[in-house]
Amino acid sequence: MKAELRGIKAEGWLCRNCREPLQPMPVNITYMGSSFQVELPRCPTCGYTFIPPDLAYGKMLEVEKLLEDK
Amino acid sequence: MEQQTLRQFEARCIQDEPPVCQTQCPLHVDARNLARLIAGGKISEARRLLDRTMPLAGLAGYLCEGPCRGHCRRREVDEPIDMPLLERFCIARSRFAKPMPLPPTGKKAAIFGSGLSSLAAAWELGRKGHSVHVFHVGPPGRSLIDVPAEKLPETALKETLGQLAAVRTTFEAAENFSPEQLDSAKKKFMAVYLGFDDPALKAVDFNMSEPIPVEPATLAALTGRIFASREPSFIGQLAAGRRAAGSIDRLMQGVSPATAREAEATYPTKLYTNLAKVTVKPQKPPADPLAPTPEEAMEEAGRCIQCECLECVKNCAYLRHYKGHPKKYAREIYNNLSVVHGLRKANNMINSCAECGLCKEICPLEADSGQFIAKARLEMTAASRMPPSAHEFALEDMLYSNSPAVAFFRHQPGADHSAWLFFPGCQLPPSLPGETAAVYEHLRDRLAGGVGFALGCCGAPAKWSGRQKLTQTVRDDLHKIWEEAGRPQVILACASCSLFFQAELAEIPAITLWDVLAETELPATGRAAAEELALHDPCAARHDPKTRQSIRTIARRLEQPIRELPLSGELTRCCGYGGLASAANPEVGDLIAGDRAGDSDLTMLTYCIMCRDRLKGVGKPSLHLLNLLFPNAPMEKAALRKPPGISERQEGRLEFRRDLLFKCWGESPAPGWLMNSFPMHISEELASRLERRRILTSDLAAVLRHAKEHGAQFFNRETGRYLTSLRPRQVTFWVEYSLDDDGAYTIHDAYCHRMVVPGVPGCGAGSPASLEGYAAKGGRA
Repeated sequence: MKAELRGIKAEGWLCRNCREPLQPMPVNITYMGSSFQVELPRCPTCGYTFIPPDLAYGKMLEVEKLLEDK
Repeated sequence: MEQQTLRQFEARCIQDEPPVCQTQCPLHVDARNLARLIAGGKISEARRLLDRTMPLAGLAGYLCEGPCRGHCRRREVDEPIDMPLLERFCIARSRFAKPMPLPPTGKKAAIFGSGLSSLAAAWELGRKGHSVHVFHVGPPGRSLIDVPAEKLPETALKETLGQLAAVRTTFEAAENFSPEQLDSAKKKFMAVYLGFDDPALKAVDFNMSEPIPVEPATLAALTGRIFASREPSFIGQLAAGRRAAGSIDRLMQGVSPATAREAEATYPTKLYTNLAKVTVKPQKPPADPLAPTPEEAMEEAGRCIQCECLECVKNCAYLRHYKGHPKKYAREIYNNLSVVHGLRKANNMINSCAECGLCKEICPLEADSGQFIAKARLEMTAASRMPPSAHEFALEDMLYSNSPAVAFFRHQPGADHSAWLFFPGCQLPPSLPGETAAVYEHLRDRLAGGVGFALGCCGAPAKWSGRQKLTQTVRDDLHKIWEEAGRPQVILACASCSLFFQAELAEIPAITLWDVLAETELPATGRAAAEELALHDPCAARHDPKTRQSIRTIARRLEQPIRELPLSGELTRCCGYGGLASAANPEVGDLIAGDRAGDSDLTMLTYCIMCRDRLKGVGKPSLHLLNLLFPNAPMEKAALRKPPGISERQEGRLEFRRDLLFKCWGESPAPGWLMNSFPMHISEELASRLERRRILTSDLAAVLRHAKEHGAQFFNRETGRYLTSLRPRQVTFWVEYSLDDDGAYTIHDAYCHRMVVPGVPGCGAGSPASLEGYAAKGGRA
């Protein structure tokens, strides 16, 4: 999953609370007891993570289904 | 799942049974496949098939009398397939593919006579590596030389003898046969075969009496090391040669010749084939029956109906979708349940069945795929292996219908007792609110003793999803309401509720709304549509003939002309809602509904609101019977009414409750009764996207309300839009929006995922709407 998640863009988006532009940073995402470290756009200050729709309905959905069938 | 359960199911699905032409062929030649290959011009492949199953096919293919023709199913339509013609064509137009000979075993057998059975026995033994010595009088295969050359080309025998020599068969010519020869052979060889189809061989030659007694399964005669046959037909001789060779081979391997011989005889097939749609197309006789052209052979082969069952598959979009048949699926499901490590690839297939029961009704052996799948779902949930996303939305919708915000019970206005309780179910009120209220009023007018009202869901979705505990909890809640109402007779408007009550709430006396209406005076408002309507029975009414009859009675009394569909009554089709098929797999759900919609060009009339809405959902103009009984719009318009979406259904229940409580009991709604009072602008295009993504407007409102209180998480400088997220249950929702001058929110996009990303705010598991929260509380608050 890691390699495919590189290059997720968050152009124009700022963290509203910290007023920081988002930067690609490692983050742990989990589902059904499995955990993955991936690189996603995050706020460098508060760590809030940006998930765009094409990721939610692309790779993420694919992995969710896979984990549900595991 | 017990292996026995699988075996019992597999035994009922007969699709894999061989066709009658094969079971009645003494050699069990796969004639159906042979015809398929020849029809497709695959002659070499067809030859390989013949060489596998027909000993010495290069010779036998010219001689086979085609006993299969007496059993061919095609003869019930016109004429049987001319299999001898196809065999002859195949042999003449192809070459023998030499099999890999097995290494010599060093074991020897003797054969007396060189008729067709002897040659077949020699071939079968020789290809297994045994040495065969054939004693014959006159030239080898002499009896075949008498067959006219136009029927059996001279080269065929010559080539056959060459093939036999290649597998270590030796021929020894004799002047005549004698008992001494046989005695000597018994000493020198492990076994002897006497092929009396060779006219040169006579029982008297060996001091034997006629007919020679043989054991039919093994052809063992006398001492057991001598085998014999006298078959009149060529195909019988080939089978006898093979059978004797099978006995001798067993003997040589130290096994009893009687071992495992059951499958060799001819037998009736269990395969069922429906001939109803086979069109008449008699055989076109070839110009020269002994030398058919490729076109003639292909045309004849194309007449083969390729016998198979697939009765259930032909009539079920779900079974068709996975490109197999129940026996195959059952095996996949069994394996799926047995997986310890690895992917459970059949989950999606298991959850896409509507469990409607049509397959069982149609199956000649009543194989019930739906019931098998229901068992699988029970096991999956019991083992916590049910994919959470499959049914979660539907189950949360069910819980919402039974939440205090929606569900209620009241005695008839002004009464403190209910002889009756009207329970319209969870889908009728939001889809036909006016009609539901009207029919309740009608029931109050017509029935004595007080008609109470209860809003909620029966629990069918919990049962469909295989969640036993949840089913029990919802069922117990309903039982409590019934007790609270004073144990009235329950009137059900939904066929699925009715089925659920029969199975899970059998202690409650229940009757369908339609039975009540059929037995009382119909509402004065009732009228027929201007056109004939196709009547669709919901699958849940499959085993409810009384209700089906009531519907027809009501239609007759309304003077509504109806057309019965080919699959109706006990054989009716599902709309795809049953079994939560459309919840787990919307694509398959639509295919199922599409099948039904395609059954008639007429507007459909039904009496299950989900059937009505799902049929309309795939574009079929459809009416509910309440549209006829309480019309509040022109019928054509009612038939085209767009079904409510997921959000409209939830809001519709709230609105229905508010309106009915006010109208009947004068109760005003509590403040904040409407869950989605957030001002939002959602385009039509986005609304249908949200529908597909199963995002409710109440979900959007929850996310926006949270953002309003705590601030949105992201802001886009270029577009001026906000993006914010919330995880109110096992799903994280994201909403991209902008603020309008009037304080409303314009929603640009909304999406969701199930994976947990750190930092997303939410109430998580345990929230009132979540399944976990409901189970933890043990039912309704």
